[in-house]
Amino acid sequence: MRLPLNELRWLKRAALDSNRPLEHLIQRRLNREPLQYIIGTQPFGALDNIRVRPPVLIPRPETEEWVIQLAEYLCSSDWSASRRISLLDLGTGSGCIPLLLCHLCPNIVANGIDISPHAVQLANENAKLCGIPYSRFKASLCDFVHPGFPKAETINSPYDILTSNPPYITSDEYLQLSDDVAKFEDPTALIGGCDGLEFYRVIAGLIARDGFLSPKAVVALEVGHSQAAAVCDILSPTGFKTSIWMDSWGKKRTIIAQRQ
Amino acid sequence: MASPEDIERLRQLKESEPLQDAWDHWTSTLKVLEDIKLLLDDPDPAMKALALEEAAELDQKLSTILNHTFPSLLVPPSTTANLSALVELKSGVGGTESSLFLETLLRMYTRFSQSHSWKANVVVSNENEGGGIKDAIIEIKGSNSYDTLRWESGVHRVQRVPATESGGRVHTSTVAVIVLPLIEEQDAQKEALYSMDDIKLEVMRARGAGGQHVNKTESAVRLTHIPTGITVSMQDERSQHQNKRRAFQVLSARLMDRKITREIAERRARKNSLIKSADRSEKIRTYNYAQERVTDHRIGLSIMNLSSVIEGNALQDFTDALKQDFEETTMEDMLESESQ
Repeated sequence: MRLPLNELRWLKRAALDSNRPLEHLIQRRLNREPLQYIIGTQPFGALDNIRVRPPVLIPRPETEEWVIQLAEYLCSSDWSASRRISLLDLGTGSGCIPLLLCHLCPNIVANGIDISPHAVQLANENAKLCGIPYSRFKASLCDFVHPGFPKAETINSPYDILTSNPPYITSDEYLQLSDDVAKFEDPTALIGGCDGLEFYRVIAGLIARDGFLSPKAVVALEVGHSQAAAVCDILSPTGFKTSIWMDSWGKKRTIIAQRQ
Repeated sequence: MASPEDIERLRQLKESEPLQDAWDHWTSTLKVLEDIKLLLDDPDPAMKALALEEAAELDQKLSTILNHTFPSLLVPPSTTANLSALVELKSGVGGTESSLFLETLLRMYTRFSQSHSWKANVVVSNENEGGGIKDAIIEIKGSNSYDTLRWESGVHRVQRVPATESGGRVHTSTVAVIVLPLIEEQDAQKEALYSMDDIKLEVMRARGAGGQHVNKTESAVRLTHIPTGITVSMQDERSQHQNKRRAFQVLSARLMDRKITREIAERRARKNSLIKSADRSEKIRTYNYAQERVTDHRIGLSIMNLSSVIEGNALQDFTDALKQDFEETTMEDMLESESQ
């Protein structure tokens, strides 16, 4: 593996900033460890330093893009006039999605839930690093696939906004992934069942429940590169009207669902 | 109670203070000279000699006021005084030797910025495989940094025996420097330098599925400003958002630079005077290592201690002289248009 010059430069700076020997960092990178885990942070929109730590999913540029777009969409809609907007992020990971939205929209109050204790711990650390107080963001350990969900006391429905970047890689695709993803990131944050769509079915069920979302709620879901149509189909029985956002790389990346 | 009109008057008064000071200085010096003149015919030879000496000194003072102080007051205050600078460096002829010299210039500007308490931040830096830096951009934040550095734009030439040259021959290599006016994001919007409809934004072509499937570390962005054809590529930052922000910053600086250049040209065209060449492909300065000499070809100024320019504070001598030259040119333009 040949290290791109940019990566070398970033590693040099990280070595200098953290007083670690550069050779160790380079060796880790040559062992295919993701650059972001070695450096320990990843910028996400206006948040310059989201902390990242194995095995919690590293924020992707596609996600950064639609979250910024969602913030702009919310600011231009009737929502911007509301005093308080409540948000739930399913499978919050590092917390990047709700934290950037909290940062960009001052009237958002958010909950993030995740099945991984590593993720919950990291998301709460990130809130502190980003200066988002506990009164505005809280991550909790919770399994939204569990039939008992959302009875848990951590949930304050109805929510005005539901976001999620759920695991969407199929089991077959997972075996084809390159080492820097497969060997280091949590498979439970990546694999969405045999067809990669398992979690969208669960989310569709949640959306359809009475009182889970407010009447004017907005749902934003990241999807895999070829899943947009299938996810829209899964959501259609809920009565929510769906639209698709493209990413800069020409992929149908985000489903936006709202009540008709 | 101060009314808004009072505040306006106060401001005018404050602005005219240098005029009053210069005039006071002129009249008081003149008064002293008049008094001294009476002593020039003094019968006492010692007194006469003293008076002569002092008169000569006062005469000198008066001509300085007349030739330098008064004209400099006529130069309109700079409209770019509050702007920060974005300095772009590109290696030119000379291969690795040029890249090595670029690294030296980068250090020179960084050090110069520190001595002015400006905040210098290297935002782009592409290393050359054989050593040195192929191209770089430094953001230099601080008031007056653009006005001080703007005359650094042009081709800088180095003449020396490269470390890699075994035959001991002197090589000539070049680095192109462009100093752009840097404006804050919100000011860029106020200036209305571009419309988003005129911008084409491209990302580096994705390979494959994207999203959770891959972990990209490159997030290069390219902006094209369609009306001018200016393109800016940025890949030095670690997120797409940051690369985009940097790219827009560089684009704004380039458009602002065009605007300022255009305004100067229009002003001169209106005054029907000759436009002094502002050609950026012009060789403006030579750094001759063998002779320990740095020469600025525009003003014919040589500094005989090369390391004091590169590692010390002597760059200031160049920037001061160039600023003065600019003010004099502005004056000449004004006078020429007066006489027409």
